[in-house]
Amino acid sequence: MSNFFFETTGGRVILTFAEALALLVPLLIMVAYLTYAERKVLAAIQLRRGPNVVGPFGLLQPFADAIKMLMKETVIPSGSNRLLFLLAPMLTFGLAMVAWAVIPVNEGWAIADINVGILYLFAISSLGVYGVIIAGWASNSKYAFLGALRSAAQMVSYEVSMGFVIVSVLLCVGSLNLTDIVLAQQTIWFCIPLFPMFIVFFISTLAETNRSPFDLPEGESEIVAGFFVEYSSLSFGLFFLGEYANMILMSGLTTILFLGGWLAPFGVVPFTWIPGPIWFILKVCLCLFVFIWVRGTFPRYRYDQLMRLGWKVFLPLSLAWLVITAGALMLFGWLPHAPA
Amino acid sequence: MAFLDRTARSMLLGELVAGLVLTLRYFFTRKATINYPYEKGPISPRFKGEHALRRYPNGEERCIACKLCEAICPAQAITIEAEPRDDGSRRTTRYDIDMTKCIYCGLCEESCPVDAIVEGPNFEFATETREELMYDKAKLLSNGDRWEPELSRRLEMDAPYR
Amino acid sequence: MAKVTVDGIEVEVPNGSTVLQACEAAGKEIPRFCYHERLSIAGNCRMCLVEIERAPKPVSSCSFPVADNMVVKTDSPMVRNGRRGVMEFLLINHPLDCPICDQGGECDLQDQALGYGMDHSRYKENKRAVKDKDLGPLVKTVMTRCIQCTRCIRFVSEVAGVPDLGATSRGENMEVGTYVERALGSELSGNIIDLCPVGALTSKPYAFTARPWELKKTDGIDVLDAVGTNIRIDSRGPEVLRILPRINNDVNEEWLGDKSRFFVDGLKRRRLDRPWVRRDGRLVPASWAEAFATIAQRLQGVPGERIGAVAGDLCDAESMLALKDLMAALGSANLDCRQDGARLDASRRDFYLFNSSIAGIEEADALLLVGSNPRHEAPVLNARIRKQWLHTNMPLGVIGPAADLTYAATTLGDGPGAISALLDGSHSFAPMLRDAKKPMIVVGQGALRRPDGAAVLAACWKLAAAFGGLSAGWHGFNVLHTAAARVGALDLGFVPGPGGRGFESMLGGRVDVLWLLGADEFDTARIGADTFVVYQGHHGDRGAARADVILPGAAFTEKPGTYVNMEGRVQRGLLAVYPPGQAREDWRIVRAFSEVIGRTLPYNDLPALRKRLEQANPVFARVGFLPRFGAGDESGPAGDPTAMSAAPLAPAVTNYYQTDAITRASPTMAACTEIYVAPTLQAAE
Repeated sequence: MSNFFFETTGGRVILTFAEALALLVPLLIMVAYLTYAERKVLAAIQLRRGPNVVGPFGLLQPFADAIKMLMKETVIPSGSNRLLFLLAPMLTFGLAMVAWAVIPVNEGWAIADINVGILYLFAISSLGVYGVIIAGWASNSKYAFLGALRSAAQMVSYEVSMGFVIVSVLLCVGSLNLTDIVLAQQTIWFCIPLFPMFIVFFISTLAETNRSPFDLPEGESEIVAGFFVEYSSLSFGLFFLGEYANMILMSGLTTILFLGGWLAPFGVVPFTWIPGPIWFILKVCLCLFVFIWVRGTFPRYRYDQLMRLGWKVFLPLSLAWLVITAGALMLFGWLPHAPA
Repeated sequence: MAFLDRTARSMLLGELVAGLVLTLRYFFTRKATINYPYEKGPISPRFKGEHALRRYPNGEERCIACKLCEAICPAQAITIEAEPRDDGSRRTTRYDIDMTKCIYCGLCEESCPVDAIVEGPNFEFATETREELMYDKAKLLSNGDRWEPELSRRLEMDAPYR
Repeated sequence: MAKVTVDGIEVEVPNGSTVLQACEAAGKEIPRFCYHERLSIAGNCRMCLVEIERAPKPVSSCSFPVADNMVVKTDSPMVRNGRRGVMEFLLINHPLDCPICDQGGECDLQDQALGYGMDHSRYKENKRAVKDKDLGPLVKTVMTRCIQCTRCIRFVSEVAGVPDLGATSRGENMEVGTYVERALGSELSGNIIDLCPVGALTSKPYAFTARPWELKKTDGIDVLDAVGTNIRIDSRGPEVLRILPRINNDVNEEWLGDKSRFFVDGLKRRRLDRPWVRRDGRLVPASWAEAFATIAQRLQGVPGERIGAVAGDLCDAESMLALKDLMAALGSANLDCRQDGARLDASRRDFYLFNSSIAGIEEADALLLVGSNPRHEAPVLNARIRKQWLHTNMPLGVIGPAADLTYAATTLGDGPGAISALLDGSHSFAPMLRDAKKPMIVVGQGALRRPDGAAVLAACWKLAAAFGGLSAGWHGFNVLHTAAARVGALDLGFVPGPGGRGFESMLGGRVDVLWLLGADEFDTARIGADTFVVYQGHHGDRGAARADVILPGAAFTEKPGTYVNMEGRVQRGLLAVYPPGQAREDWRIVRAFSEVIGRTLPYNDLPALRKRLEQANPVFARVGFLPRFGAGDESGPAGDPTAMSAAPLAPAVTNYYQTDAITRASPTMAACTEIYVAPTLQAAE
C-alpha cells in the first residue's frame, strides 16, 4: 500500500521533500556547529579557549549567534538595487543547498542518484559565483564591488584546474555517477594513486569556497568585508550559511572523489562494523578540520600570488598529471570499460 | 642544483607541512587564557584598581583632607571640600572621585600621607549608568570597609619597596 | 654709604643697614624666619647666617650692621652647613603635620626646608608638645608648630600697640602666649596670621577650607573702611574664601584690619539673589522685568523733584555715576551720599579729603584728632599714626571721648569747646601745635554728624590755617572718613544739585520715590510711609526690609569697581567671583532700567562708563597714583566757626566689627562683636 503510494507523482514529491528535509536539517545543524568548531579550533591553535559561556562548553553559542543575527536590523543601502541586493544571499544559500541533491551519503542514499552527478555539482558550484557578483554589484559600494570582482576571477581560475583534476578521477572511474565513483575506490582510495591531484583539488576547494588563505574576496583587512560589507541581519546570515554549507559540500566532494566516500578505510572487522554514513561524516569532518587548520596556519595570499598559483602552477600541473594518468591507464590497460 | 633543490622542496610542500605541524602542536598545548569570570589571574599587590577610602582599626576615617591627592591628580578627577569637624579635627565634608576621568595612575595613593586613599584590587566595577561612576565619600568609604583586609595585606606586602 | 661686596657683586647701601639688606640689594636671597622689614630686629631664628670675610663664625645677617668694604658670602660651604644645621634644629621640635596644617603650601618653613634643609631627619626622640592658646574668634593657634621667631609678639606690641602677646619660659620650654588667657585686643590681630612663618597662627574662620593652590587670586580694594586698603581676594569657584592684604606702602603698607579680613562669611549670608516686589504689604519674588515694570509704573507721572536717590557707603563710583545720570534723566536733583548726615562741604575737594595723605602721616610732627577714633574708624591708618608716634614721639591731642588709641594722646576736651580754646591760644596744647612744622588736624565723622558739623568743620579749617597747617608744601587739614564710597560720591557730585533736596529733606514723605543704592546706615522708619522705596543692593539689611522693590546688586568682590579712598586716591578692584543668582553689577542694573523707561544712558560697557567717569571728574583718570599737594586757597568751607554747640563729641563708630550690611550678615563679625564690643558697651551703660 505504502509502496504503491510512493509510486504516484504526488507520493514521489512528498517523499522527495521528506528526503530533502532529512538531509538539510542535519546539514544546517552541521553548519551551525561548523562555526562553533571553527571558533574552538582556531582558539586552540591560538592558545585560547573559544566560546565557553553559552551552554556546556559553549555548545549553545551557535544558536545564540543565530538569535542575535535575526534580532538585528536589516539595513539596505540607499543606493543599492533592492531586488538584486536581497536576491544575492538567497541565491548563494539556495545553490549551496541544491548541490546536496546528488551527494550520496551511503550506497543509494542520494536524493537524486543521477548519472551526471559530478557535472551537476560542477555546474552548481560554478553558479555560486553569481550570488557573490550580484551581491557586490547590488550593494553599490566600492569594497563590495572589488570583493565581487576578486571572487569571480578567483573562482574561474581555480575551476579550470579543478576540472582537470576531476577529469583525471573520471578517467579512472569511467562514470560520472557519484555512487560509481565511490564504489570504484573499493580497492584503493584515489587519494593514494592520485595524491598530487588530491592536493591540487583540496587547495582549489579552499579557493573555490573563498576560505583562508584565499579569502581575498572578503579580505577584511583590505576591503573591509568584501562583497557582503553592506549586508546585515538575515541577509548576512544567509551568506554565512551558504559559505559554510559550501565548505561542507566541498568536503563531501573531496571525500567522494578521493577518500572513498562511505567506505571503511579497511574492509575488515572492526572497521566494517561502523555503518557507511558515519564513515562519510567522519571523513567530511576531517576535511573540515583541515580547512580550519589551514586557516589557523597560513596568512592570506596576495592577489597576484593567487593568480600565479592558479594559472602557472596548478593548471600545468593538473594538465600534466592528467596526461600521465591517461597514459598510465592506457599503458597498463587499466581503463575501465576498455574496449575488449 | 640549488634550483632543483628549491623546486623539489616547494613541490613537496615542505614549508606548508612544517607550518601545519607547528599549529597542530599548539592545538594540543595548554591554553594560555583563563576561564575569566570563573577563574582569575594573579594580581600584583601594586595593582591599581577601584579606589577606596580606608579607616583606622578603631573606625576613624583616615583621610585628613590635606588635598594632596586632589593637587597631584593629573586628570583632576578628585574634588575635596573640608571643614573642621565638631571635635576640631580636619576632615572632609566631600570627597568625590569622577571614575570616568580617573586614569588609574596611582598618584593619589602615592601622595597620601596617611594611606587613606588607595587603589584596591577590584577591577570589576563596571556600571550601567555614567552617574554610578561619580563616586562620593560614602561609596569610597564603603569600598574601604569591604576591601580592608585585602587592602592592608597589599600595603604590607608592598611596604618594603616604598 | 657703605660699599659691600656680596658674592662678588659690589653694592652701596646706607650706613646702618644690615648685612641682610645689603644682600637683598645685591639680589641674593637670604632665608629668614624672624626678620621682617616692618618689625624690629630680633635675630633669634639664625636662619639668615652668612659668612663675612675675616669673621671667625657665620653671622646672622639680619642683625649685623654693614661696614665699609665688607665682603659677604651667601653661598659658601660654611653658610650652607650653617643653614642646614639651623634648619635641622628648627625641625627637631616642629611636628610633621603639614598635611593637616592650613599653612601647607604657603609655609616659609616648608619652602625653606626644601631649599636649605636636609632630605631626612636624624632625630628619633619625642617632639615637644605645647598647649594651644585661645586668642579669640579670629586667630587659631597650634602652638606645637611654633618656631619662636617672635614675629607675632613684635607685631602686636610694636605695630598693633597692644601688649597682649609675649613669651614665657626659655629654651625648649619657651611658649608664645597671652599668659592670662584672653582674646587678642587688637583690630589688626589678623596680620599675625600672615606674619607667622609656620602654621602656629592660622585663621580660625578659614580653618581647613582650602589650600592656597586651589585659590584664584584677584586684586581688590577693601570698602569696609575709607582707607582703601589694597587686598587680594582669594576665591574658589563661586565663593570668596579669604581676604589678604596686598603691599601698598602709600596706603596700608602690608596690614589689613580684622573686619576687612574676616568678614568674608558675610558675603554668603542674607544675600539678595533675585528681585523682589512688595505686593499687598509682602515682598514676593519677581523677575527682573516685573521689578522694572513695577518701578516704571510707579514713576509714571511723578515729577522729577518728587524723586530722590541716596548712595550708600559701599558703592563703587560707576554705579553712583549711573544712578546720578538716571536721576538727571528723570529730572531730579535730589541726590545725597551723606546718609549719616555728615555736614561735609563738597564745594572744594580739599574740604573733604585726608589732604596730608596716609603716607604723609610719617612727616607730621603734631597731630590733633577732632571727634575721631582712628583705631576703630581706620585701624590701618591708626597703625601709621602709632608708627610715627613711636619714631618721633610727636605730640598728639584728642578732642572727643577718651579712648585707648594705642599711643599716648592727650585728651584736650570732650566737646568743640576745646577747639575754641585752641583757636584763642588759651589751651595748653596750643604751643605744641604751634611749634610743629607739619601739624595735622584730623576731623572725624563723629564731629561732622552733629547738627553743628559745618561749624566744627570750619573751625578745624581755621585751626589748621592758624597753626601753619596750610602751606604750599603741606596740607594739614584732614577729614577722616568711615565710608569707602563717600569721597568718590562727593567727587562725582552725588549731592543735592541746584534746588535739589538733601538726605534729611528727602525723608518723611517729602519725595514719592526714593532710590536707595545700598544705603542701609540710617533709620528707615524715617522714610515717609507713602514713599515708594527702591532698594538696590546686595544684602537683605535695613534698606531691603523697607523696600517696595528690591534690585539685587553685586557686592564689591563681585564687580569691577572704582573707589576713591579718604585721601582722594582713585583705585580699582577687579571682579573675583560672579554675583549670586540673578544679581547683577549695579551700574548694569541702572543702565538696564534706564532703557525700560525709555531714557537709555549713553554707555553700554565698562570702558564707556569709565570714560564718562573721567568726564564727570578728571581725578578718575588718575588710578592708583596720588599727587601730593599743598594748600592753595586758605578760604575755608562754609560754616560759622563760632556756632559750635558745647555738646560732647560722640564716636562715629561704636562697633568696629559691624559697620555695614555685609559685616552685619557675618557670623564671624557677630562673634567678634560679642567678645570685643559687647563688654565695653555694657561697661559704658
